[in-house]
Amino acid sequence: MIQYYFMLGVRSLRRNPALTALMVLILAVGVAASVSTLTILHVMSGDPYPQKSGRLIVPVVDNGPTEGYTPGDERNDNQASYTDAVNILNSKQGDRRTVLYGVAGSLEAARNDIGVFTVEGLAPTRDFFDIFEVPFLYGQPWSAAEDKDASDVVILNRKLSEKLYGAVNPTGQRVRLMGNNYLIVGVIDTWRPVPRVHRIIGGEGAFGDEDEFFIPFSTAIRHEQSHNGSMNCTSYREPGWQSLLNSECTWLQVWVELHSASDRANFQNWLDAYASEQRKLGRLKRAAPNVQYNVMEWLEHLKVVGKDSRISAWLAFGFLVLCLVNTIGLLLAKFSVRAPEIGVRRALGASRKEIFTQFLIESAVVGLVGGVLGLILAMGALSLIGSISKQLAVVTSMDWMMLFVTFAMAVSAAVLAGLLPTWRACQVTPALQLKSQ
Amino acid sequence: MLRMQNLSKVYRTHMIETHALRGFEIEVKQGEFVTVTGPSGSGKTSFLNIAGLLEDFTSGEYILDGINVKGMDDNARSRLRNEKLGFIFQGFNLIPDLSLYDNVDVPLRYRGFNAAERKERITDALTKVGLASRMKHYPAELSGGQQQRVAIARALAGSPKLLLADEPTGNLDTQMARGVMELLEEINAEGTTILMVTHDPELAQRSQRNVHIIDGQVSDLVRKSPTLVAKEA
Repeated sequence: MIQYYFMLGVRSLRRNPALTALMVLILAVGVAASVSTLTILHVMSGDPYPQKSGRLIVPVVDNGPTEGYTPGDERNDNQASYTDAVNILNSKQGDRRTVLYGVAGSLEAARNDIGVFTVEGLAPTRDFFDIFEVPFLYGQPWSAAEDKDASDVVILNRKLSEKLYGAVNPTGQRVRLMGNNYLIVGVIDTWRPVPRVHRIIGGEGAFGDEDEFFIPFSTAIRHEQSHNGSMNCTSYREPGWQSLLNSECTWLQVWVELHSASDRANFQNWLDAYASEQRKLGRLKRAAPNVQYNVMEWLEHLKVVGKDSRISAWLAFGFLVLCLVNTIGLLLAKFSVRAPEIGVRRALGASRKEIFTQFLIESAVVGLVGGVLGLILAMGALSLIGSISKQLAVVTSMDWMMLFVTFAMAVSAAVLAGLLPTWRACQVTPALQLKSQ
Repeated sequence: MLRMQNLSKVYRTHMIETHALRGFEIEVKQGEFVTVTGPSGSGKTSFLNIAGLLEDFTSGEYILDGINVKGMDDNARSRLRNEKLGFIFQGFNLIPDLSLYDNVDVPLRYRGFNAAERKERITDALTKVGLASRMKHYPAELSGGQQQRVAIARALAGSPKLLLADEPTGNLDTQMARGVMELLEEINAEGTTILMVTHDPELAQRSQRNVHIIDGQVSDLVRKSPTLVAKEA
């Protein structure tokens, strides 16, 4: 019977085509608005490391000065000083640890037609690639020994590698980067985690471009490679590289991969013990609580999903409700002229329940068509948003889940809108309708 | 086939009570062709609606094919309507955006027949009314008389025991009306009981029995048709 009602619903689309088109359009616009904002919200708040996000930890110790600080103030500095970063790196806590900062400089290509251009990259430790599951196209991460020796090795991203060498494996070649010759040990494949949790602070933010190259953290320090990102210094420091390393300026990001999420309590104990040790050495004067964030907490803490994204999603839903109210009105109009048909169907043996099912399915068919149109509109809206804002371009892609959500939303919206008109339809007194025709 | 005893139907509004039927008694036997006449507002249509289970009654008894319908819920009444009854209306009441085939299909769908059986019944019914060749057409493409024939086919397709007709020839010219009437008589001759409301005294004359309703009561229960009288004599 459902199939029969579905067929009747499809046929009924052709009746009052103008009214039907209006209904489908209203529904589609409402759904498209909701789905496009929801898609952005969904991708923005996505978890790029679902298998391990609970045990990927950013530890934060507060090394700010006591002047102008009242206990309990929220900390707005989320990076680490060189001292803390290196201590945590050497702590043997968790399975893997990495420290990183952004580096940038000129690259002198061997090919004359390319010349010199600026590239932006990262200086992490070797574990970075395992922690963030970076896919490799050629070669592999540099070795622990190369980390220790601060070797001049580099890993390129695919785009940069192809720009310099075309589609061949460039490992073993040397490239002149930021004034030094680096040996290429690997090329990573296209890698676009959304959001870019590993580098939300500094650089281009959570939805920025890919990192073009990677050199060992120790190498960058040895070359006194200045940072490309944000740095926070609350007190005067002497000029010079060594004094930066000795200062309380925060400019590094630290990640620890714990063995399991349940190890967080142990790690907290270690962090607290570390902080009190440092206090004995005259540092960390604020005695503020030491904090650790896992991936999702980190995204939440840095407010990666902006308030405006949430507000626009709510507004879009408000708009959908408005569209729904309109659809209710149109369906009432569409169904009210069907009273004679309902009378006939009742006389021929349809129960109220059957009339109810028939008309509700008819509403759902309108929803389905609205869903298809809504999907097209939403995709259009998303690509428009993507073309206007480079920042938002990565979050404007629709996945299967959002595709499903679109249809579920359109159909349930239509069914919801159809409830009142359908209820009215099955209240039709058949006797009255049959005589009045 | 159909028996009503001391049946009444009262319509209530805030201000007044209207007795459409009171102390209404009738019995229709299997295979009869009964016409119902009476002035406007006498209760003919109320009677037909109650007989067709389209309306509830206020008090009394109504037995349809041995089943007491009092207190039946909507589902059971709809089922009974679908299985036992066929309807023909003055205004034909075909569904305009369904083809003739799909119009006749409607009651069969509610009955739950499978596709093969539905097809056979639809073809048979449309053949019987002489419109099998036009089953893909839509109601608007037919004359009034043809539309009423489709309505008859639709009423017959489910093989009902009782056919209820409300002024089936009221919207037709004399020639078409005659054709429809002959078709109904043919159907009756094959065993289907027919109960027909009409204003037309000539049609009333043609039936085996005429029931006259005045003020919601049967005034003249049995009046045999001239042919039957002649036979008995």
